Parts: sequence; C-alpha cells; structure tokens
Amino acid sequence: MIHECDVCIIGGGITAAMLAQKLSELRPNLSITVVEAGKKIFDLENRMEYRRRSIDYAENPWPGDFIEDQAAKGVISRTMAVGGSALHWGGTCNRFSEEDLRLHSLYGLYTDWPMEWRELEKFYCEAERRLGVSGEPSPLREDWRSEPYPMPAMAMTHNLIELKQWAVKSGIPFWSTPQAKNTRPYDGRNECIRCNTCSICPTGARYSPDFTFKRLLARKSFALHDRTIVRKLVLHEGKTTVAAAQAANYDRPQESVEYRAPVFVLASGYCWSPHLLLVSGLANRSGLVGRYMCGHAFLSAMIEIDARIYPGMNEQHGLISRQFFRCATDKPFVRHDLRVWESASGHEPRLRSAGGQILLGNDLLADWRERAKRGTARVRGYYDVHPDRESALTLDTTVRNRWGDPLPKIEHKPDAATQAREPFVREHFQQLFGTMAKANNGKILSTSAGNYLDHPAGGCRMGGDPSTSVCDSYGQTHDHENLFVAGSPTLPNAGCTNGTLTFVALTLRSAGRIAERFRRAG
Amino acid sequence: MGVLPLARVRAWAQTAAFPGDYGDRLAALATVVLPAELGAARIRSITQAFEKWAREYRAGAEMDHGYGFTRLRTKPMSPAPGYLKQLAALPPALTTAAVIAAIEEARITDLPRTPDGRHVATDLMAFYFRGSDANDLCYRAAIGRDQCRGLAGSEKAPKELPA
Repeated sequence: MIHECDVCIIGGGITAAMLAQKLSELRPNLSITVVEAGKKIFDLENRMEYRRRSIDYAENPWPGDFIEDQAAKGVISRTMAVGGSALHWGGTCNRFSEEDLRLHSLYGLYTDWPMEWRELEKFYCEAERRLGVSGEPSPLREDWRSEPYPMPAMAMTHNLIELKQWAVKSGIPFWSTPQAKNTRPYDGRNECIRCNTCSICPTGARYSPDFTFKRLLARKSFALHDRTIVRKLVLHEGKTTVAAAQAANYDRPQESVEYRAPVFVLASGYCWSPHLLLVSGLANRSGLVGRYMCGHAFLSAMIEIDARIYPGMNEQHGLISRQFFRCATDKPFVRHDLRVWESASGHEPRLRSAGGQILLGNDLLADWRERAKRGTARVRGYYDVHPDRESALTLDTTVRNRWGDPLPKIEHKPDAATQAREPFVREHFQQLFGTMAKANNGKILSTSAGNYLDHPAGGCRMGGDPSTSVCDSYGQTHDHENLFVAGSPTLPNAGCTNGTLTFVALTLRSAGRIAERFRRAG
Repeated sequence: MGVLPLARVRAWAQTAAFPGDYGDRLAALATVVLPAELGAARIRSITQAFEKWAREYRAGAEMDHGYGFTRLRTKPMSPAPGYLKQLAALPPALTTAAVIAAIEEARITDLPRTPDGRHVATDLMAFYFRGSDANDLCYRAAIGRDQCRGLAGSEKAPKELPA
C-alpha cells in the first residue's frame, strides 16, 4: 500500500498532536498523516473502571499501551500508544529558564542553544494555551512571562498550605506548580475533580493527546494510522531529500506500507527518533545522531515536620521554587528546581512494630495513629547535568524486534565538568534539606538519589553548525532539507525541570516553519 | 476442542465461588485482623468486599509497567485457592495468637502494598488498611483519598469523623 500526504508525521505522542493541530490550523488544506506504532486507546468512557482496577489490583491503567518486542535498554517508559507518555504524565508544565539556553556564554559550560530566550518564551505561552495550563506566576523577576496562565492555579489543599508555611520558613519562596489540568472547564474538557490518580485521569481534566487526535480525526485532511511502525526512511535516488517512509502494520504483517510526502517529521521522542535515523543511516553527517542523550538527575528527601498532613488530599499537586534556577557566575555551578509534595512516607500502616512484633487490628491502628501525628514533606530537586558526546543511543544488534530490526540501547554519560562537580552538588542538597528540616523542628527521615536521568531528551541535538549538531533550531535536519525532527530529541540539554512544555514549545515553533514551506510552494 | 488442565479449572471455580465453605472462617479472621472500632456491621461489609475482590481477580491481567525502572508484568494466578487452604489450616476457635503464628510461619515481614496471595490474613489486612477508608479511620477525617471529590473546599482540613 502506498499512502501519499503533504506532511507525514512519524510518532503519535504529544509532539505529533501539537504539530498536527497547529499545521492543520495554519494550512487547513494540508493533508497530514500521523503514523504510530502503538494502538489508539480513546475509550474515555472506560477510564473510571481502569482507574478502579489500577487502585484495587495494581493493573495497568492503560491496557495494551506497549509493544512487547519494541523495547530499549535504558528507556524509562514502555508506553507506546497513540498519545505516548503523555497519556499517563503528571501534567507538570514548568518552563526552562534563560540559563538553560546560555550555559556556555554564561558559565563556560557545555553549549548554547541556537535561539534566543525571548523567542522561545512566545511559544511557551502558546504551548500553555494549547495544553490548558493552570498556574501561579513565579514571584521571581527573572521568570517574567509575556502572558498570564490560561487558567488559575490548582487550589492549594490544606496539606499544601501547611507545607508552604513550613517550606518558606527556610527563606526559599515556593508557589503552586503549573499543570496541564483544568481548574475550570477548558477547551471542551472537564474541570478537575481531584481523583488523586493523574496517571489515569478519568475525566479528561488533565490534558492528554488523545483529545487532540480525536478532534483532528473529524477533519477530512487528517489521517491517523496506528499499529503501524515506520522501519526505514529512504531518499530519492541520487538526492538528499527523503522520498518515503517504509512501514509495517501489526495487523497485516505481510503487507508492505509506504508513505510518500514532500515533508517528513520525526516526532517519536528521544528514543525512537534517533533510532529510526540510525537504522535508516540518515541525517548523520556529523556523527551525532544518538549522541548527547540527556536528562536531569535528582535527589530527594522525606522530611518529617510538625504539621497536620492528611495523606491523599491531592498527592499529584505540589509546590515549586525556581530560586536555584539561577547560579552566580562566580560561584560553583549548581542549578536545580525544588519541589515539595504531601507524603505518607513514615506514616503508613505497618505489620510489625519497631520491636518486630506482629500488629493486628486494634494494635495496628493504634500504632499507625501514633505515627501519623506528624506530617511528611516529600522534597525533590531535579538538577542540571550535561551530556558527554558518548552519552549515546546506539543500535544493539543482539536484540531485534519481530521485523528483524536492531533495537536501541541508551547509556547516559555526563560530561567531565558534570562529573567533577557531583560531590559539591550532593553536599549542596544535603545542606539544603537540612536547612529546610531545621526550619520547623523537622527531621530528615531519608534521602535518596535517582538512578536514572528523568525527562530524557537529546539524540538529535539542534545547533547552528552542521558539524556539531543534527538539526537547526526548527528541527530541520542539516542533511535532508525535507526532514524535520520535532520536540525532545532536538534538545542539547534537558534543563533542571520537567521537559514536556519545552518539547511542545519547540514543536510549535517548528510547525510555523514547516507551514511556511507550503506557502512558498503556493 | 481444547481441554483445560484440571488444576486451572479448579482454580477458576474456587475463585468464582470464593470463599466457598469457608465464609464463617473468613468472617472470624476479619474480627481478629480488623479494628474493633469499625463495628460488626462494617467488618462484615469489608469482608464481603474482600470476597468480591478475590472473585473479580483476573490472573494474567497486565500490571502497570512503571516509570524509571520499567518492566512488563502480569498478575499471577488467583490467590483464592491458596486462601482456602490457609483458612482450612486455621483453628476453628480462632485466636490472635493463632493468626500471628500463621503469619510468622508464612514469614511475612511487611504489610503488602496490595494483596499478594502470601497469606489470607495479611491480604485481608492489606485490602483494608491500604485503602482509602482506613486512611480516613486513622486520621479520623473524611479525606476520601481514592474518591473524586472536586476542588471546592480542599483548602480546608477534611471534615472530622466521629471518634
């Protein structure tokens, strides 16, 4: 089967949804096809039941959202379905800061992004409008924004009010974390009713891409081909432009499928976008496809405090401080966000007393009540780490999927400067957690370090120099003028806070550039 | 026509009919492992909810594959046949000491996050104590952790429940 369209988007996650939505608005006559390996899970009407089974039985709240033989070593989520990781994301919509784009010019570290902060800020506003972000503006001058949040911030629960009173005693300002969750009906979706299970939002109050796709499917010029995996991109003979995407369908494995389009966009995330380029042998003149894989590291603490915390009021909503997004240029480099949530840690029911005796019925309840008199704050900082060139996604030829294609393997490696400052960063956090605990007769119950990099990105990093990057700031690959990469793979570094809003902002900027090509073409 | 192994057929039947002949034994166990302040009627309804939980258990169902450390897993076989054996092994005149001895013998150290089939006593406890209602009971407050509650009024402490 040969399928022709104007823009072929490979991958069906949040990046694809936002790109297709904006392109269809800018160029209504453009035929757009999204090709996604996973299946559609559009049954909003069943989500309350999925949620119940998840709570009662720990069953997968998104049944069938993976492909068994399509895995990668080092990947942090197995989700592969229309909507991608944003089916079950927490909806946190933090912005990066200008420092993330100016690491080299400000601190002499790593690299700069090939775009200005003011330019990106416009697209943050657009991303917030499209996703429907509820938020409270940062009180810090450096976090200026050109537009208000589309919706008021999520209501602070009694727990968060208590935690904020505690947290600010340490002299650090905290405020409500912005989230893509409706605090009033918005864009045809419901208001949040505080189900406390955002990974499976049963009402649609938290944004997920299935809503965008369902709306797009009402348009004649839009097609969504799920359960179809693009295996290879091929060039026009004797040219550097991409001619076709060769695919296979899980339901009709004997049938070959080919997509032909004047523009192809890889929107398959940090793992599968560089993977497809490596398998296809494209866009890699610099040798940097699959290189500079990035993410942020994190350190956490559970701090017991004198506060009446009722676990479960709204565990998914927390406080943020961006105080440490900035770092004086004459001080040792450390940048991080700082987050606080309610927690039941240390105050959960237990089977055995501290002395090891088994507790049943009344005894268990009495023990639990005694320990529940104090509250717990969960505190975490995502901190800035920068990738080495050898922080890589490579093809693992020893592991192949059913189609015989080698699967990816991701091994993160921080650059030398990041490794050198790690002891200082850890010491900084220990002091910070200690300061916060001390502020209100607190006690650190535990600290821990993440054993993976969160919100991974990279693998097709953007840049102005084709010898040190894979694509330009619009995601257009240096090697193939009709091939774009959108969203997370293009990031040179992953900042020190959640990345999704940045992935979307960059994608929306790319969409404008892609649309312009069609205007020029008449 | 395929033939199902006898053991699987028996497991299915025992799950569908749980607790079978051991309803009284399970009810007696509930009075030992659940807090008395719930009262007899509430303990009875929790026990019935646990029975329903066991009957609606789906062996082989996909489990959440996680984030960070991710893996595909499925729910193991139904715990109901094991529960029946464990109930049968408990003395008819059930005492706290007998339940503790059974848990010690099963070498269970922690309250399971969700019932995991190791022992019916700890699974019944996990079923209740890990739930939203027990959270409310502990804090004597209408927190409603697993309910969808709306945003209005959430800035206030949850309403107190009578002691």
